[in-house]
This record gives sequence, C-alpha cells and structure tokens, in this order.
Amino acid sequence: MTAESTPRAARAQWLDVWTRAVIVPAWRRAAAVWVGTAIVAAVIFGPSGMRASDLTGLALHHAGIGGALAVTWLLVFVPTARLLVRAEGAAYLRTLPGPTIAPIVLAAAALVALQLPWVALWVVGEGLLGLGVVAVVTLAILALASWRPPQLRAKWPGWRHEGEALRAIHVRALRRRAGDALVRGAGLSVLAGVAAGLFVRNNQLAGLDAAVVGASVIAIVLVPAEVGVLLVILATHRTTAWLAMSLGTSRVTRIVAVVYAIALVQLAATVIAIAAAYVVTDADLRTIAWLGGTSLVVALGSAMGCARVLLAAEDSPTIAARTVVGSIVVAALAVLCLGLFGELGIGAFVATSALALFTTPVATPERA
Amino acid sequence: MSMLAIERLSVRRGGRTVIDNIALSVEPGEILGVVGKNGCGKTTLLACVAGVLTPRDGRVIIAGASVWGARGERQRARRALGYVPEGADPPGFLLGNELWSLCAAARGATPPSQALRDALGLDELRDTALERMSLGQRRRACLGAAFVGPPKLLVLDEPDNGLDARRLDAIVGLLKAHAAEGGATILASHDAALLDQLGARIHAMRDPSPTIRSDD
Repeated sequence: MTAESTPRAARAQWLDVWTRAVIVPAWRRAAAVWVGTAIVAAVIFGPSGMRASDLTGLALHHAGIGGALAVTWLLVFVPTARLLVRAEGAAYLRTLPGPTIAPIVLAAAALVALQLPWVALWVVGEGLLGLGVVAVVTLAILALASWRPPQLRAKWPGWRHEGEALRAIHVRALRRRAGDALVRGAGLSVLAGVAAGLFVRNNQLAGLDAAVVGASVIAIVLVPAEVGVLLVILATHRTTAWLAMSLGTSRVTRIVAVVYAIALVQLAATVIAIAAAYVVTDADLRTIAWLGGTSLVVALGSAMGCARVLLAAEDSPTIAARTVVGSIVVAALAVLCLGLFGELGIGAFVATSALALFTTPVATPERA
Repeated sequence: MSMLAIERLSVRRGGRTVIDNIALSVEPGEILGVVGKNGCGKTTLLACVAGVLTPRDGRVIIAGASVWGARGERQRARRALGYVPEGADPPGFLLGNELWSLCAAARGATPPSQALRDALGLDELRDTALERMSLGQRRRACLGAAFVGPPKLLVLDEPDNGLDARRLDAIVGLLKAHAAEGGATILASHDAALLDQLGARIHAMRDPSPTIRSDD
C-alpha cells in the first residue's frame, strides 16, 4: 500500500463516502415509503381485483383521482428527494476536492430509481405515456425538494399555564422535528382515503356498511403514516422529562399533552383521508357523513391506544419496534371491534383504548 | 425555617450507592457551594434536590414542602426552585423565548424581566433554537429560565461552565442580589474563585468509594 493514492482512487473513495452520506440515508427513507405503498397496493389491488391500468386510467380521465394520486406521491416522496437534492449529509465532503458531475448523475439516477413503486405503477399501467407522467411529477418533486421556506421571527408565546405550554411544545416539536414524517403521513393519508374510497366504490357499499369498511381501511393504512410521528412525540416526552419534573408538572398533565399531540395528528390524517375518499367514491353525502364520523371517533380511540403504547414503552431499549407493533395492534383492535360489533364496535374500541390509557403503568425515570 | 433541608438522603444509581445518608441545610439569603472530585455525587445531589432523581431514602424539603411528598406539597416545593442541570440540555428544538415562557407558565410568573435579559444577554438568544446555541449560550438560556419567577431556591450545577468573564460577573451579581432578597442558592462548582467571590459556604463531598458521607 502506498502513502499517496492516485487521483482516480481518491475520486472513487470520495464517491464511496458521498454515496454512504447521501444515497444510503435516502434509500433507508424510501424503503419506509415502499413498505407503506406495498400495504396500500395490497388493499387496492388485492381483494378488489383492480389492475395498474385501471388505476392509471382512472387517474388520467378523472381529474380528482389524478390530482389526489399525484399530490399523494409528491407528499410521500419529497422528504426522500430532499435528502438527495440538498445532500446536507455530504456538507463536509464538499470542502474536499472531489468529482462534480458524478454526484449529480448519481443523485438524479437515485431520484428516479427510489420512486420504484410510482414508476412501476405508471410504466405497467400506461407504458411510454406513463414514463412521461413520471418525468413531469419528478420535475415537480425536484422543485419542491429544492424550496426552502423563509424563516420568520418567532412571537413571544403567551402560555397561561403549564398544560397549555406543554401541549404547544409538543406541537412545535412536531413542526420542527417531524416535518418530513408529517408530509409523508399526509401523503399516506391521501392514499388511505383513496384506498377506502375505492373499496367502498368497487363493493358498492353505503351507509353504516361503507363507514365500517372504510374506517377499517383508513385505520390500517394510517399505521405507517403515524409511526414516524409517534417516535417524535415520544422523544419530546422524554426530553422534557427533567424540565417538567423540576417544574412540578404532574404526570397527568404530561400524559394529556402526549394524547393531545397524537390526537391532533390522527384527526388531521383522518380528515385528509375522508376528503380523499370523498373525491374518489361516488357515495352520497349520508355515506360520507357516516364514514367521517366513524373514522374520526376511531382516530380518537387510536390516539389513546397509541399513547398507551408510547408511555408503556417509554424506557424500553426497543422502543421503535414496540411502537410499530403497538400501532399495528391498535389498528387491528379497531378493525376487530368494527368488524365484530358494527356501530357498537366504535364505542367498544374507544372504551378499550381509554381503559388501556388509564391503566398505563407509572414509569419513574431514574428510580433509585 | 431553612429554605432547603436535606435529611438522611441516600441515592443509588446503577446498583451503586452514590450518596449515603447526607444531611444539610441552606438558610434564606445563603449561598452553599458543593465541591468535590469528579464523580463524587455533586450532580446526583443537585438532581435529587431538583426532583429529577428519586432518592432511595431520606427527604428534601424546600420552603417547608417536600420535593417527594404528596401531590400538592410536591408541586409547591418544585415551584419554589429554579434548576440548571450540568448539561444545560432542555429539548433542542425549543427557542430561547419558548423555554422561558414554559418556566413562567409553570411558576405562574411573567417572562424574564428586562434587567435579567440585559444581565444574561437573553435578547440575542430569544429566537435561537437551543440546539444551535454554544454551551455558554445554552447555559445563559437555562440560567434565564431558572431565574424566572424568581424562585426561592436556585439549584445550579456548574453554572459558570462555558461562560465568558463578562457573563460570569453578571451571574455573581445576580446571585448576590437574589441572596440579598432572601433567596437561597445551592451550586456545584470546581471554581474556587467564583465560590469565594460569592461568599459561599462550602460543603465538601467525599469520594464515592465505597460510599459518600457528608461532613455536615
């Protein structure tokens, strides 16, 4: 081994590090999107017998469905694209001499390759025309990923009591720490609504039946949308612990703040899903009202159930895995209650979640 | 009545007794400096006083209320104290003014006064996220939060760490003014000159092995 490397070897080494700093994190984030879209694809294409061309055809000829689908993909994929476009993970590398064209080519290739589910849907569904759609949407993704919102001067918060302050702090944490997860979640919420709407439409369901099936579909598809956000809420709960303890903030106040933050996200995601379902389904307003009411109550129940999951696992070293499994269990419980008991199941699910929350074991950090 | 009374306090961490049967008190208007080698339990003692660590045994009484007592008493005790931990590490996403507002809301007080903001240079940290501040700036932000109220007892873990000479003078002035108004302070520091300047009574902690026992 020589002390000096050749320029070619040095460039290769630079590119290797750049790939690990930019492409690999983007790939990890895209993998989560792939898992989410796989769940949705299973719901849309599995039981209803729909094919890719049915969906892309609907999207091309029905402005509402086309718009919902495109917005969904933009929301879901922009956070991943941001990692490639801004390449902030490679900021230090840019201070070293290295290739200039190769990283741009690699990032562009990754920008297309990491959209695999979207590319596959359009190429299988529409062939060359589909490729054109992918190109147009990719340009929009590029523009959105490059945009940086202006920084505004923060107002002095006028919090009147600690409960209000803690809830506001959770909301700020969501805005500042979970931006990407929220955008991805919004995209998956649209997808959840599209899936629920298509399910209702293809099976010609109405009224309570449509509400039970639609709310179940939304509850399942929203699981990958909420996991990233839940972990941010838990991190906020943990990092504010010493501050809250030294300020004399009660555990109940802290739990209320956690439930509030989760409920806010769940309700917002559900409202987006209901709006998307309304766009794709031909159902009457009564059916949509049933679907909306049922889904919103299920969202509240899920918020309490997920809060229980987080608080019970707050000191666990396997918190991420427990959060994922717990969220799936909560969604499964909602589906089970709705499927077994119909409208009574809504109440049963909320009551079970509330009971689970109120019986959360008290964890005292750093107990001697 | 003592502003702070620690009775037979014992703390175990990681299966090891870190503090064993300590008793001490701080009177109104007094500044108590806790000194000792690294790892002798200064930070553990202050975290226990601030209600962040649960003791195995003993009591911590602040202004007549127990830090680990019944709910109402516990709240009274904690609202009477302002704490700056060694790491000065509140959630990093919070802006300076949000940290001070949280403390003000919890203590039912107003945000930091102009005099406090001038002394600690808080205005320049108002719109900055804590994670973007240097250690000294973060410490100033945390000191600002601790002084909001102001509380009867200040619990400061190495408050001088990372501060420049100008801010150090400001801290000395603020702590002396707090003491003159009847407030009490317990602080850990390795800086003998600072403790001297403050006129602090010294409490020396012994080595942790096999156990720590207070001189008091």
